[in-house]
Amino acid sequence: MLPFLKILVRNIIKGPATEAFPFGETYTPKRLRGRAELDPSRCLTCGICSHVCAGGAIAMTESADGRGMEFRLWHNTCTFCGLCEHYCPANAITMTNDWHLSHEQSEKYTCCEVQFVEYPVCEKCGERMLPRLHQRLSKGLVGSVSTAEIMRICPDCRRLTSAMHQIKSKVSLTAGRSNS
Amino acid sequence: MVNDYIHAGIAMLIFPGGLFALATGLLFKGMDRIAVARLQRRVGPPMLQPVFDIIKLSTKEILVPESANETVFKLAPMMGLMGSLVCAALVPIAGVWNGIPGAGDIFVLLYLFSLPALSFILGGSSSSSPFGAIGFSREMVIMFAYEIPLLATLLAVAVRADWQLSLDGIIAYQTANGPFLLDPIMIPAFLAYLMFIPGTMGIGLFDIPEAEEEVIEGPVLEYSGPLLALFNLMSAVKLMVVLNLGVALFFPLLLPGGIWVNLPFHLVKCLALMLVAVSLFRASTGRLRIDQAFNFFLKYPSSLAYVSLLGAYLLR
Amino acid sequence: MHKYLKRFVHKSPWLYRINAGSCNGCDVELATTALIPRYDVERLGCKYCGSPRHADIVLISGPLTTRVKERVLRVYEEIPRPKITVAVGICPISGGVFRDSYSIEGPMDRYIPIDVNVPGCPPRPQAIMEGILKACEIWKKRIVEVA
Repeated sequence: MLPFLKILVRNIIKGPATEAFPFGETYTPKRLRGRAELDPSRCLTCGICSHVCAGGAIAMTESADGRGMEFRLWHNTCTFCGLCEHYCPANAITMTNDWHLSHEQSEKYTCCEVQFVEYPVCEKCGERMLPRLHQRLSKGLVGSVSTAEIMRICPDCRRLTSAMHQIKSKVSLTAGRSNS
Repeated sequence: MVNDYIHAGIAMLIFPGGLFALATGLLFKGMDRIAVARLQRRVGPPMLQPVFDIIKLSTKEILVPESANETVFKLAPMMGLMGSLVCAALVPIAGVWNGIPGAGDIFVLLYLFSLPALSFILGGSSSSSPFGAIGFSREMVIMFAYEIPLLATLLAVAVRADWQLSLDGIIAYQTANGPFLLDPIMIPAFLAYLMFIPGTMGIGLFDIPEAEEEVIEGPVLEYSGPLLALFNLMSAVKLMVVLNLGVALFFPLLLPGGIWVNLPFHLVKCLALMLVAVSLFRASTGRLRIDQAFNFFLKYPSSLAYVSLLGAYLLR
Repeated sequence: MHKYLKRFVHKSPWLYRINAGSCNGCDVELATTALIPRYDVERLGCKYCGSPRHADIVLISGPLTTRVKERVLRVYEEIPRPKITVAVGICPISGGVFRDSYSIEGPMDRYIPIDVNVPGCPPRPQAIMEGILKACEIWKKRIVEVA
């Protein structure tokens, strides 16, 4: 009879289950999707993040002087879906577990993640070029050219280098064939 | 004669009624909220939360609906608060206060007791809101329902106490012959009184007139700011009256010692009664339909009270 | 005396929810803050009230659809001053995923002065409580200014 009395007694014995939050710490799961963050050194400025963004929160605009690309993520329309993180080819976007996003109205339009992705400079001619996957392609060869080397120069210079290499390798190839 | 008036004035404005009833009522409400929170495994608000609520409400703006009857709308909460304060002044506290001479009659109390409910009815009906109308009709139904067991309980106590109709006499009888709570004949009446308390306070099963989810707080829907604060004060004083009356009717046990021993003892008794009849009830039960509540009051508390009345009458 | 009392005003913020065409996600989180013992919003003195006349802090969720706009504005007018408005979720703040839809009247601050934004889809209960605390602070400042 009256099973709720048993529950009430148990509740009193166990004591409050309230967490200390507004006055103390709270538990935040490690994988909680909170504020998104961009690592500008990894970003390729490919724009897939703004393409897949459900809330249309990401805008990428090239700066007027062509020095780089501005990445702007407005937290006030981000749904924390994590699609940008999932689709980012360079793992430049990560969803942190920071959820302290509430702000006053005056900060409404400044509550953004703004990063400037600077275009790297070609080592040969000094022109600006699109960033590449330095880290991943630093090993191995493309043909006979070291990738690390070729990725640091702009496409024009790259074509030139490649052509030069081809001429050289043709010479060496014919030499090799005659040897065998 | 003049002395009597001063006596009554002090009773209504300062000691058992007035400031004392307001302070203890608000404090008890805070304790009730904490107790309910603990029963639900929560921490609960600070003990002075009802006081903060009153302070907050007094700074807010008063809005009166266009189609409301403004005079009645504004007078209703004041009437309710005054009614409950007079009630608080009439109920004696055993060993501390013997009541206003010649005024602590159970029938007077029964009449005055309907004033807070009546103020809800007036407020709800004058607010011209359909939710207020539903709320006040419910309040009316539940008032008729709980007054029957209340009347039977009061009569049973009076008959048992040798046809004493004044509360003072009832307390004197019990101090001489032992409290009614330990009297097997009066236990059904005590149970009936326990069920009457949530009914009149509108909590738990009987939170029907002021149901937030159904009728958006019913009669007090249109009240804001200081007027709502008056209603809150009224319900705090009413809580004290109900608890004081319960202690006076069933357990006016005295400890040896003067006022300074018996007053805290009385408050402890009130607190125990509140924890059982209010907090436990509020934490564990949901709301009934209005017809179910009506049937409930006519069936169980009434029959329990009648059993006591009959027993007291036959064993006189 | 009055000034001294006003220091306690922010200790009893009564909350009122307005659903301006929300998907109910944020409303569930709002209910969570009140009903689940783990968060216990009553500890801050909060109470969810049924009537707009009793409210101090208004929690608005939803992107303000065309159909609900008039009603929201009417209910908002019913709330006695001083009132603090909190936009819960990204919908009232910016329109969120519904932005630029034909049936959305656009961000809430076009029609209602918003004080605190709590972004999220839906925000965590803790984030909502943080927002309520921020709103209390604004309320405190505003009362002192009035006095």
